[in-house]
Amino acid sequence: MKSFFRMSYPYILWIAIFIVAPMVMILLYALSRTGNSTLTFQFTLENFTKFFRDATFMRVLFTSLRIAFLTTVFCLLIGYPAALFIANLSERAQTMMVLLLTLPMWINMLLKTYAWRGILLNFDLESEMKVFIGMVYDFLPYMIIQIHTAIAKMDRELLTASYDLGANKWKTFRRVTLPLSVPGIISGITLVFLPAVSSFVIPKLLGGGDYVLIGNLIEIYFLQAGDWNFGSAISLIMALIIIASMWLTRKLDRSEQEA
Amino acid sequence: MKKLISVLLLLCLVSLPLISLGDANVLNVYNWGEYIDKAVITNFEKEYGVRVNYSLFSSNEEMYTKLLSGASYDVLVPSDYMIERLLKENMLQPLDKSIVNNLDGLYEGVTNLSYDPDNTYSVPYLWQSVGIVYDTTKIDPAKMEEKGWSIFLDPEYDGHTYMYDSERDAFMVAFKALGYSMNTENSEEIQAAYEWLRQMDKAVHPAYVTDEVIDSMANGEKWMALVYSGDGAYILSENEDMGFCAPQDGTNIAVDAMVIPANASNPELANRFIEYVTRYENALMISSEVGYASPLTAVLEELSGEGGDYEGNDAYMPRAGYEKDEMFHDNETLKKQLSELWIKVKLHE
Repeated sequence: MKSFFRMSYPYILWIAIFIVAPMVMILLYALSRTGNSTLTFQFTLENFTKFFRDATFMRVLFTSLRIAFLTTVFCLLIGYPAALFIANLSERAQTMMVLLLTLPMWINMLLKTYAWRGILLNFDLESEMKVFIGMVYDFLPYMIIQIHTAIAKMDRELLTASYDLGANKWKTFRRVTLPLSVPGIISGITLVFLPAVSSFVIPKLLGGGDYVLIGNLIEIYFLQAGDWNFGSAISLIMALIIIASMWLTRKLDRSEQEA
Repeated sequence: MKKLISVLLLLCLVSLPLISLGDANVLNVYNWGEYIDKAVITNFEKEYGVRVNYSLFSSNEEMYTKLLSGASYDVLVPSDYMIERLLKENMLQPLDKSIVNNLDGLYEGVTNLSYDPDNTYSVPYLWQSVGIVYDTTKIDPAKMEEKGWSIFLDPEYDGHTYMYDSERDAFMVAFKALGYSMNTENSEEIQAAYEWLRQMDKAVHPAYVTDEVIDSMANGEKWMALVYSGDGAYILSENEDMGFCAPQDGTNIAVDAMVIPANASNPELANRFIEYVTRYENALMISSEVGYASPLTAVLEELSGEGGDYEGNDAYMPRAGYEKDEMFHDNETLKKQLSELWIKVKLHE
């Protein structure tokens, strides 16, 4: 056992260098004033107060949460019936369908988004609508696959038992299939909402210059404005939102399991 | 056994990218996207028996960030104000003039500029101004010349306008329209320029775009757009209805120049590359391909002269020596301030 633990040392080192250290640096940048030198480190919260006091930034935050929420809801609305449909196919057909679903995921997201840009160019749509379409397209497979996995591993005998006990199809779905697929729904929501709220390539390519989400704001502050301190503060705020939503979904998951 | 073979094969596949490392005769060039005739690189590789590792950036700031993060390049092609900053921070090394000995043919307007007064560190690569590309069937050229930048406030062009999505260029337009210097640090002037841009946003509801403006204007999708002269030259050569105007209020003249970073691993080859690119035939290929103005007088004359690729193309040759035209200076505080205001303009605050 001990020797196995030793095998994880390189991994821990890896985490320390590539995950923990950058996080610490973001934290230090976010809590200090401009001037990249650590020698003149000055502790301040002004990056955060600036963000929360400014109506523009708050609106960007709100827009990001709104579009991520809408994307998640829509993915769930399309994804659930699709997953249910796939789970009811024969074994071979299921493998085929899952393969077809994952196939586009092998293509670089940038390429797919550029393709959408070409398609949407011909339609006179609001920026937000374009970004919404792009996000739903991109994240839908994650939702379907998660829910499908949950439904597929469900014991089929349960359905037979339910019918034997006199429940009709709808009641069986509501009382058996749906509750058992909740873990899949929850991980699906996590896998869609988190990348959607932090997405920046899709709004950048599909939304046009006046559609700014929080991910784009971070990019603007790091690459255009060259203000790493404020950029780090926004990154940290976004990280907190992500952690909060993960905590929420996990809590949901747990209370569901208890019930 | 089968498993072992597949594992070995996988290992080979994964380690494939490592093979190209450790090659001494490699030149790392970092340039703007769509800014060269690829044949120039291939020819250089053949002539010197080396390999050129050619990477692309899309903004000076992106290049600078990459450089700060420790990446090593041999030749960079930043713009004037960025060279000013790199020099301030001792990040460049002087050119070896015994190798780069062909600078006599450079156009006067782009040599010995304030960021590098005697071209010790930099050789101009291409240069440009900023102007308005417009559809001459929709906007009368006389009106365009008369109104200059203030045409962006004319509600008549509501929904028919592209604005370049860059705080630097947009604020340049506003500063010049108001008669200020585009390097101003005066907070009242900055505020006035911000108000000017907000007014523009309300009057013409421009689409804020970057490089997609090139194809869109070549297809005549909108009536006017703020563009770099080199892109304007391309648009004009693709669509004969389009005209180009560099407003009398003054504009930005920008020079992109080749420099060698202090930490270059192959400075000798870098000098050879700079010399090679500055040769007449290569400069001609590059300028002809991308539409931006060449730094060589002979090339400028060839391309804009009779029978040249850009004969009669108003956008190709930027005007030089006009007193209201200016170059940008490196000013990080100002840039930060403008970026923030620019977000607010775009989000219609």
